[in-house]
Amino acid sequence: MNCQLCQNELDAYLEGTLPQGTGIQVAEHLKKCSVCSESFQLLTLANKVMDAEMKVQSNPFLVTRIMAGIEEMENQSASFQHIPAYQKVFKPILISVSLAAAIFFGVFLGSTYLSAESHQRIPVELSYMNDAALESIDLFSQL
Amino acid sequence: MTDAEIIDRINGGDRNLYRLLVERYQPLVFRTCMGFLHNKEDADDLTQDIFIQTYQTLTGYKGDSSFSTWIYRISVNACLNKIRKSSKSSFLQRFENVFGSEKNIEYSFPASEAENPEALLINTEQKEWVERALNSLPEKQRIAIVLSKYDDLSQKEIAEIMETTEGAVEALIQRAKANLREKLSSLYKKKKK
Repeated sequence: MNCQLCQNELDAYLEGTLPQGTGIQVAEHLKKCSVCSESFQLLTLANKVMDAEMKVQSNPFLVTRIMAGIEEMENQSASFQHIPAYQKVFKPILISVSLAAAIFFGVFLGSTYLSAESHQRIPVELSYMNDAALESIDLFSQL
Repeated sequence: MTDAEIIDRINGGDRNLYRLLVERYQPLVFRTCMGFLHNKEDADDLTQDIFIQTYQTLTGYKGDSSFSTWIYRISVNACLNKIRKSSKSSFLQRFENVFGSEKNIEYSFPASEAENPEALLINTEQKEWVERALNSLPEKQRIAIVLSKYDDLSQKEIAEIMETTEGAVEALIQRAKANLREKLSSLYKKKKK
């Protein structure tokens, strides 16, 4: 048996569904070939992991949890049905109008912005003026 | 009481009977979720969501196929959607790995397996290899192998769930097994280096 044939039969060999003769041939090949033997070991590992996951049990209270979830969902939908129709309509409208007003106010506030360049600048001469010299402190002390 | 009778009575207003359906099909849905998600808590949560979703759409069940086929389809779609929408970024996953995610801690083999020293050799790293190899399979191959291995369904039943032919399912399972072997080999070789 060559490697190609052996690889094709590995799953069936692992599941024990091969005819006896073929099974013996695969077993003989696995003893001699390290590559196929490695493949077989990895396949065994995969099956073990899947078997172990398959045997994991769900939460013992899962059924109760599911039924409680359904009950809660039904209660929520029932309480929503009790809300008066005008409230169901008025609330989203109020939220939408408030949101639109906030956006409009934000845009309006932003548009009032003026850059520093657009402001009237102080003449250069004024910046050299010494205010302290113009208004002596003595002027007030004489009063 | 048959599934059809239960569903008729639920749709007629006897809603408490839904518990019977949940008790009957909860192990099946949970196993399917485990096959796709590989995590007990996630599988529990998704099983709950699936049954709530099924309850909401129960009036839409026309009885064209068996209830088990119908709930299998819902479960497979829910699992695939959950995987697609998984919001965990690779950064968060790395963060979890650094500080030890619960996923690794809570995993344990059933008592009969744990008694076997060989089973104990399967460490979390090897479990991750298998999960990664399974997760990297194309969607249809993955569905076929999960339904075959985890739910132990026949090719005929899988074909009905996937709405395809038995021949196509057989081919999908064969390709899935070959791909799984290849992916595991490459992961093993990378590890050896």
